[in-house]
Amino acid sequence: MTAGGISWTRRSSRGAADRMARPVFLACAVLAAATVVAVVGVLGVETARFFATVSPVSFLTEMNWAPFAEEPRFGVLPLLAATAQITVGAAVFAVPAGVMTAVYLEHYADARLERVLAGVTAALAAIPTVVFGYLALTFLTPLLRSVRPGTEAFNGLSACLAVGLMIVPTVVVLARGALRSVPAGLMETGLALGADRGRVVARVLLPAAAPGIVAAVFLALARAVGETMIVTLAAGNQARLAWSPFEGVRTLTAFIAQSSMGDAPQGTVAYGAFFAVSAVLFLLTWGLHATGGMLMSRRGRAGGAG
Amino acid sequence: MRGAKSGRDWIGAACGLAAAVVAAAFVALAAVLVVKAWSVADPGFLFDSASRSADRAGIGPALAGTLWLAALTIAIALPVGVGTAVYLEEYAPRGRVVAALGGAVATMAGVPSVVYGVAGLALFARGLGMGPSLLAGGCTLAVLALPTVVVTSRAAIRAVPRGLREAAFGLGATRWQVVRGQVLPAAAPGIVTGSCAAFTRTAGEAAPLLVLGAAAFMTFAPRTPADPLTSLPTQVFAWSTRSGQDFVAVAAGAGVALLLVLLVMNLAARFVCRRVEGGAS
Repeated sequence: MTAGGISWTRRSSRGAADRMARPVFLACAVLAAATVVAVVGVLGVETARFFATVSPVSFLTEMNWAPFAEEPRFGVLPLLAATAQITVGAAVFAVPAGVMTAVYLEHYADARLERVLAGVTAALAAIPTVVFGYLALTFLTPLLRSVRPGTEAFNGLSACLAVGLMIVPTVVVLARGALRSVPAGLMETGLALGADRGRVVARVLLPAAAPGIVAAVFLALARAVGETMIVTLAAGNQARLAWSPFEGVRTLTAFIAQSSMGDAPQGTVAYGAFFAVSAVLFLLTWGLHATGGMLMSRRGRAGGAG
Repeated sequence: MRGAKSGRDWIGAACGLAAAVVAAAFVALAAVLVVKAWSVADPGFLFDSASRSADRAGIGPALAGTLWLAALTIAIALPVGVGTAVYLEEYAPRGRVVAALGGAVATMAGVPSVVYGVAGLALFARGLGMGPSLLAGGCTLAVLALPTVVVTSRAAIRAVPRGLREAAFGLGATRWQVVRGQVLPAAAPGIVTGSCAAFTRTAGEAAPLLVLGAAAFMTFAPRTPADPLTSLPTQVFAWSTRSGQDFVAVAAGAGVALLLVLLVMNLAARFVCRRVEGGAS
């Protein structure tokens, strides 16, 4: 804290610094606003140009994605389905593991174990996704192939596992926040009534924290949707509908990263396809974040009333 | 009294098992990475240039590229981000414009990094004619980090007690003196911690740089921001996609080097954090 240190600037420079401060800070804010406008603007303009050539209906309903073919096709469904498959698959692993880890950290682990596990979670969150992708490709996939020989060299399952592990820290941190917002007295009351910890957790704490945990899941899903390097390395590049997790698929993000966009001439329809796919990603993650944020603020209000 | 009191607490046991599985998965993956990287662990690997033969390939240019990118990102996003946060919290009149800007910036924090790559290609590499250079990469990563820097800095500034400001105003300080003398020193640890998280994340980003057109094969270390774009994350990616077992070890080595760079960035932030805390009290 700064209790003692009111540090006056020199008197001579005082007026000038004061006059300069406001415009300088304002300029920073204007620059920040400009980057938001520029990013959203360039996505919007190029996407609009793309849809001037390709009908939005065929974009959203056709099953064939081949932007560089001689007769290019722009049906985004296979990419969208692959993104859904990887995201849901990752959540199947990450949500139970993350929520249970959070419960363990909040209500079972002693202080030392809690510090160690929280450290592991933070370290997991700091690993770049390209490293996860490398490990999925060179470690998880060979492992899966030795267990189930028919597994393709690029497959959805390996990517699901790696993306799942990547989003576990998000689930743990946010679910812990949700659990902590439940009044501590509930656990003590339950224990005093003779229930064991597990019963109180399952019957009282988890239901009370449910909205916050669901919000955590939505934010974790948004991260999984936007994950690029793991799916680019491990899931493959076949834009197709694959129902088996042992086959390769291509997600929205993997399409952008795998096709070298630098070579797509500006103004062509294929160039526009990158922006249309980006716009889809933008809307998907924004929707998931908005839903999660709404649940979170509703939880805040309910907590304030109770 | 936190431990489960009997063996009948299945839920506690299951939760403990889940936590153990997560920790074990982390340890296993870290061990695999280090084991795979073991064979390339020699000083030459750090400085050598990329090579067609795996046993002579090094990460010199990629490491230099990552350091350049981190420096550019921090140099751009930190002042603009903190400045924006100060303006929004201390100067701007409360109103719809400020709320809208704050909301928009917060929304941008959730946009996937690869989307920033697409926007960066159109805006910086092509629009401003930077091409696939380190400067274009630094600008793109700065735009990517900016929302997180703004959001965490605003939170840190908001956490400064009102009374501190009021006391300084009461003594006749001007707004700038309050910001400089009271608010920023008190908020600095939070700003540094939050910004560091944003910058370590962008330093590990491969996707946006891949979209910009990062070079997978550089024979010289970049010396200026105008030099071609290269980095450790994109190098890990490039070597991972090479068929053949030779490059598996090299890719792991680059991955370990990347983790070490991020670790050093974290320790540096912690050091700065302690200094500003120590200096302020």
